[in-house]
Amino acid sequence: MWQWFFRLGSPKWFYEMSGKWLPWLLVLMTVLMSVGIFWALLFVPQDYQQGDTIRIMYVHVPVASISLACFPLMAVAGVITLVWKMKLADMVAKCAAPIGAWFTAVALATGAIWGQPIWGTWWAWDARLTSMLIQFFLLIGVIALRSAIESPDAAAKACALLAIVGAINVPIIKYSVEWWNTLHQPASDFSMDENSAFGPEIWVPLVIMIFAVYLFFVISLILSTRNEILQRERRSQWVMDIVANEKV
Amino acid sequence: MSDTANNTSSSQPLGRAPIAQVSTFSAFKATLKRDLLIALKRRNDLLNPLMFFLIVVSLFPLGVSSDPQELTRIAAGAVWVSALLASMLSLDNLFRADYEDGSLEQLLLSPQPLYFMVLAKNISHWLISGLPVVLLSPLLAYMLYLPADAYWTLVLTLLLGTPVLSLFGAIGVALTVGLGSRGLILAVIVLPLTVPVLIIGAKAVADASLGVPIGMHYALLGALLALSLSLAPLASAAALKISVN
Repeated sequence: MWQWFFRLGSPKWFYEMSGKWLPWLLVLMTVLMSVGIFWALLFVPQDYQQGDTIRIMYVHVPVASISLACFPLMAVAGVITLVWKMKLADMVAKCAAPIGAWFTAVALATGAIWGQPIWGTWWAWDARLTSMLIQFFLLIGVIALRSAIESPDAAAKACALLAIVGAINVPIIKYSVEWWNTLHQPASDFSMDENSAFGPEIWVPLVIMIFAVYLFFVISLILSTRNEILQRERRSQWVMDIVANEKV
Repeated sequence: MSDTANNTSSSQPLGRAPIAQVSTFSAFKATLKRDLLIALKRRNDLLNPLMFFLIVVSLFPLGVSSDPQELTRIAAGAVWVSALLASMLSLDNLFRADYEDGSLEQLLLSPQPLYFMVLAKNISHWLISGLPVVLLSPLLAYMLYLPADAYWTLVLTLLLGTPVLSLFGAIGVALTVGLGSRGLILAVIVLPLTVPVLIIGAKAVADASLGVPIGMHYALLGALLALSLSLAPLASAAALKISVN
């Protein structure tokens, strides 16, 4: 029953399978991304209050939502690393951290660009912005720890543990920040996801963009994990075979 | 706990000398006592966090303003942030000396549950570096013109909050204990984790000085303390095993 699970943990199997999936994922993402982007940028009607600024949402919301998934992903990979000592899980966790940090940074940046015309400020200590910022710090911490520990094995375990501790903390941080903020200032309608008020012509492209950005995340993660696999397994025979074949 | 330790040692006739039968509680006490003794013999370690706390707090009037009204507004946050930084700075000597002289390895090899050993080290560390900061805080709050109503809240929230800072910090120290330069990386890892404590603690003091009821703040801090008391030493123990290995 567990066979598939352990086979999934074999870097070689993952490398071969992901090589087969990648073209399909790329095609799917390109189609979804271009449909979503063109629809969102050209055909979605202007918002009656926000005008064209609303189009930033089509990048911001997908990027922000996937960056929230990053810590749980790393924590799950961390548990697998610590419990089953699966090398692939650690490679995925290692690659997910910088990608997640980039996505968090993009979410913050697009939020700031959106905030400037709408709120009149680049930055507000709004609950979501703040917890996003702290998540960014946590990811930076994981990356810093990874780069500070020389032994890859110890780094894997240490980062796995830190990711788990962080993942337990993320909800606590989120709720404490919300609690702090709501007491600080009266609730403001800063939130962007009032989907109920939007018609399908607004949210259908958003859903497409969410899928496209998720795929983009997955593809980046796969590509980066494949690199990591090649680097770590560079002494194993199958990697040498691949390299030898490519040179021919 | 001691019974299970005895059983395993007697049921495994490995030809070794029998493990000295020490109960977990007395091992806990011994670790606590040893750490306290070492700390008391190194007066500087005792004084440095306090001095740091004092200096950082006195930077706020210099950097912000000497206007009493302005200072009153930031007093709660300033004292809390300084306490947070002081506890962060003192963390470094939580496991380092033990790591360097090898006694940490002995601790990991001992048959005692590591949770209690780490907890003992945490408690002694807090008594040495956390408690003095808590006790000094009213004086510094006075220097920042914190309203008198909030003094008790400040002391009580620090009393509940600084152990959480130590417990969270210990995880970071345990993860980085084997590294050459760890001062900054420790702060980068640990500071984001301490955000909830800072938010709740500083908010409680600020609310108390405004006369707002703060029962909920205590409850939240207490919950954080309970959570970190039960989980953080486990994480620290696991991290120590990773680092020392």
